[in-house]
Amino acid sequence: MYGWIWRHLPGNAWVRALISLVLVLAIVFVLFQYVFPWAEPLLPFGDVTVDEGMAGPR
Amino acid sequence: MARTDQDERRGELPDAASGRRRPRRGRIAAAVGILGELLITAGVIMALFVVYSLWWTNVLADREAKKQGDRVRRQWAQQEGPGRLDTKDGIGFLHVPAMDNGEVLVKKGTSTATLNDGVAGYYTKPVKSAMPWDKKGNVTLAAHRDGHGAKFHNIDKLGKGDAIVFETRDTWYVYKVFAELPETSKYNVGVLSPVPKGSGKKKAGRYITLSTCTPVYTSLHRYIVWGELVRTEKVDADRTPPKELR
Repeated sequence: MYGWIWRHLPGNAWVRALISLVLVLAIVFVLFQYVFPWAEPLLPFGDVTVDEGMAGPR
Repeated sequence: MARTDQDERRGELPDAASGRRRPRRGRIAAAVGILGELLITAGVIMALFVVYSLWWTNVLADREAKKQGDRVRRQWAQQEGPGRLDTKDGIGFLHVPAMDNGEVLVKKGTSTATLNDGVAGYYTKPVKSAMPWDKKGNVTLAAHRDGHGAKFHNIDKLGKGDAIVFETRDTWYVYKVFAELPETSKYNVGVLSPVPKGSGKKKAGRYITLSTCTPVYTSLHRYIVWGELVRTEKVDADRTPPKELR
């Protein structure tokens, strides 16, 4: 998978490394900005209140 | 054999120890390789999620809480003399020296959206919180243990006799911790009662309840700390903090 991406990037090794870095940063940005905020409420790590089960706030 | 060696030289660096390794992998080997890469990717994403949860949400929440806190302080400065207190943006600040986390803005409600801004919220349900200035009742607060400001992260550092100070525009309310519940069910709403169940108190009084989740990094149980009002102090012109905070 990564090997395939590497082979299909243009330029020499340095250019490819640079493009790879940009791609990685873009993916991290998308994860932090959109994916994780979406996933977080679905995971049971952030509930701090006491409540009566279903009805209460998470 | 010779052909294989040539291919190796042209392809990736040949592994000196295993000269027989063929550069062109079989279909199964390729599938296993892709599976391995996917698993590694999943691991990296999970690690990034931990970084997000325990660091990045704190950065965002602290920034937001600072902004909202500053706004409340500006409003307080503008409202001269006594008057109807505007509580939409927050009713005051919580100072807990034992938690060593500065001031925590207290806002209405304990919804995820509210608490994620790095503030503490007072309960509106299932049991409505009292206000510090009420004659009797239980001021019930919740905040995050980890991530999103982690304002109650050090709740376990609180012990009996430690001060909890609630600052409103005009008054410092000084509470002293008298009981705690290091682990209780998340359905134990009795802890929020006007006379909190499990605290040992039988008579109505002016109590404060801090609630968050425990153990750290999970939401399995709830950690409760109760305080009782010992005195109030008028806020002076310089907002000199009470001696507990000095």
